[in-house]
Amino acid sequence: MTDRTRLALLLGPALLVLGGLFLTGLGLTLLRSFRYMPALGLTEPDLAAYTAILTAPGFLTSLALSLWVATVSTLIAAVLALAAALLLRQTFPGRALISFLVQLNLTIPHIVGAIGILYLFSQSGSFARLAHAAGLIVTPAEFPVLTQDPYAIGIILLYVWKELPFITLILLANLQSLGEDHESVARSLGATRWQAFRHVLLPMLMPGLLAASALVFAFAFGAYEVPLILGAHAPKALPVLAWQASTDTDLATRPEAMAMAVVIALIGFALLALYARMLAKGGSGAR
Amino acid sequence: MTTLSLHALRKTYPGAGHAAVHGLDLTAASGSLTALLGPSGCGKTTTMKLIAGLIAPDAGEVRLDTGPITHLPPEQRGVTMVFQNPLLFPHLTIAQNIGFGLRMRGLPPARIADSVAAMLSRVRLDGLGDRRPAALSGGQQQRAALARALVLHPKVLLLDEPLSNLDPGLRDEMRQLIRGLQLETGITTIVVTHDQAEAVALADRIALMLDGHLAQHGPPEDLYRRPASLAVARFFGGVNFLPGRSEGGVFRSALGTLTLPPGMPEGDGILTLRPEALRLGPGPNARMARVDAVTFLGTQTRISLTVEGCALQALTTPDLATALAPGTSLAVSLPPEALWLLPPE
Amino acid sequence: MRGDLRMLAGLALAGFLVLPLVPLLGWSVAQGWRFPALVPDRLSAQAWSFALSPQSGVLASFAITTLIAAATTLLAILIGLPAGRALGLYRFRGRGLVILLLLAPALLPGIAVVFGLHGILLRAGLAGTIPGVILAHLVPVLPYVTLVMAAVFARFDPAFEDQARSLGATPWQTFRAVTLPAILPGLMIAALFAFLVSWSQYLLTLSVGGGRVQTLPLLLFSFASAGRNDITAAIALLYILPGLLVLAVTARRITGRGAALTERLHP
Repeated sequence: MTDRTRLALLLGPALLVLGGLFLTGLGLTLLRSFRYMPALGLTEPDLAAYTAILTAPGFLTSLALSLWVATVSTLIAAVLALAAALLLRQTFPGRALISFLVQLNLTIPHIVGAIGILYLFSQSGSFARLAHAAGLIVTPAEFPVLTQDPYAIGIILLYVWKELPFITLILLANLQSLGEDHESVARSLGATRWQAFRHVLLPMLMPGLLAASALVFAFAFGAYEVPLILGAHAPKALPVLAWQASTDTDLATRPEAMAMAVVIALIGFALLALYARMLAKGGSGAR
Repeated sequence: MTTLSLHALRKTYPGAGHAAVHGLDLTAASGSLTALLGPSGCGKTTTMKLIAGLIAPDAGEVRLDTGPITHLPPEQRGVTMVFQNPLLFPHLTIAQNIGFGLRMRGLPPARIADSVAAMLSRVRLDGLGDRRPAALSGGQQQRAALARALVLHPKVLLLDEPLSNLDPGLRDEMRQLIRGLQLETGITTIVVTHDQAEAVALADRIALMLDGHLAQHGPPEDLYRRPASLAVARFFGGVNFLPGRSEGGVFRSALGTLTLPPGMPEGDGILTLRPEALRLGPGPNARMARVDAVTFLGTQTRISLTVEGCALQALTTPDLATALAPGTSLAVSLPPEALWLLPPE
Repeated sequence: MRGDLRMLAGLALAGFLVLPLVPLLGWSVAQGWRFPALVPDRLSAQAWSFALSPQSGVLASFAITTLIAAATTLLAILIGLPAGRALGLYRFRGRGLVILLLLAPALLPGIAVVFGLHGILLRAGLAGTIPGVILAHLVPVLPYVTLVMAAVFARFDPAFEDQARSLGATPWQTFRAVTLPAILPGLMIAALFAFLVSWSQYLLTLSVGGGRVQTLPLLLFSFASAGRNDITAAIALLYILPGLLVLAVTARRITGRGAALTERLHP
């Protein structure tokens, strides 16, 4: 058996499955977004669905909201994760416990975390009650609206909570493979700790950090179940809007739902490309 | 016991500009230990893998007494290869490693245990059977890998650079072990090495490979004293080369006329003389030489000479070289019986 | 950073990580917990007993979710192990493209994939069925398993297989006796986390399952929107159990630096 036949046999099933399900699925979505649906008698592809969503205020607001959520949560998570990784780099009492909790966090599905955040930060939630006990408020309505609010604070909190440990672990793996030698060299050349970090360590961590951030951003942008629990009725997060458009009884909105999905996919692909480039540059983890 | 023969074996790796192995013909007599010698990249490891069946040739045949094995999968050939890296399976104990091949054959555990125990003694690893490979030293791992192959009594045993991973102190020991076991078991063995001293010490016959070709095949002494080409001579440390012409029993060159030993072919050629055979002092084929440099090498001293405009080297024992300082003139002799004629390049 | 400052920061981090679980624990044993009480009005096991009873449908849902996750994982391994081997051991033209094709389904937001996926499975007559949901879950799970196995195989020296063949082992014997033991640790971790990826799927199940396949996250959401905090909390805690189990099993392999749960895990 030649190498090439062997390769084909090994990779074949996986490529078939992914090609058949994923690529074909994307293709179908794309066709429908161009209003090409022979089953409904629509055989002329056009951009009507795209113009419709781009001119409707709902879509643009939702897009803006989703981008806002993804950007803010990723930024906060990335910065905090950097701090957390530096913290966990060296041993101190309790480090093992924190390591465990970080890993625990990874296994908790987003929906559970979202419910927890809801019970913590809603106007009748744990923090509201603590505020009451401290004499700061009297009724639930006096507590600031942090969940199901227009600024998506609750959603951002949940994403930070989930993504912080994820990015931290990636950074820790990178730190481990990079070793301490580079900073030692910098220090022996006269750099202060901060300078060694800013000019030597940080640049080396950047590719991995950016790669992880791309992943995290993609998820925060496109997740559905979190905005469902923690999101306001309006504006809706983009995935929620897209889903509702797809289940609307008015069939005319289907192509619009597909168009939204295509837009989301395009943004996703852009992030994927960024991720791949960052991986090629410096890697996202020990290998 | 088995004779191994290779016929017109050819292999080019996909994407490579030239063949790794070119039309190789080689026979290893039953019960012999042949060293497959050559610099890295000469094709010796490729040849080994072709014999073992781990890669397939583009052309040619591999034969045992029983017939061609060219198209048999590795596990059916009766050829066992031991790699340069011991490759002991890390999840098995030493005893389980050694018994691996027997287990694959489906032999009953009791018999496997007996054979393994005997082999452990043979390679002096008694008592280490229950350890994991990581717990053994490099030398011990090498012996275990050897035992693992020998216990199968293969028709042909292939050893890929068995000594290169070992510290110099251990090499001698391992070399004696290999030779001893090979003579005892009579298994036709091929040892790949890039170290000519090793090949000379270990083998009945040396097959020197250069650039995918078999440059010379014969007893070690032949390759030293009667090299087939300039490349072979150079590989074994020959440094004295004199182009010229052989006519009627004498050699005409920049050094004038030198008497040749009987049986040398006529025509253009390159005369060669091993540095240790160049005699300091008067003798046949004498010439005047000037000493350029004297280098102490430990057990020997190298003397760089200019002899009538030609640069030559002699190797001698240190005490004989004490009187020589750079600039000294002395007579040197090129004894005819030590001269050898190489084909012209 | 001085030691005690580190410890304080560590404490803050630990607290942050545990925080959302605290009200869940509280609510799950609460019988009434009105504002502004800091602890439940009354402690009771009624939320749990209801959750674990047949009427809630939780146990049935737990079983379905487990079945789907297990089946998806098994399929993903059968397909992904050889694919991972190809990626890890061979350098071939188009390798980068294949990796990209593998990364995309795992990284793209589910909403981008789900419509088309539903369409295909609908045509195949699998919409609303458990096998359909399994196939749908394969889309994020397969790439994950494949990429992890690629990393595992990249660390594997195929010379061991050559050596085994040279000692008389057939290809199948070689796989069982030499390759499998070497890749098993990585394979186990891949399998466990693949299980978790399927376990936490929401949108794919909602879409492809068409409401007929009630996995645990869907059930959890219904109770959450119905406002029954106590039952919701109990179900949520049940829902995170397999994750805890996975953690317990893999924790032994994980060093304090957390190298095992890294880049391959999709949030």
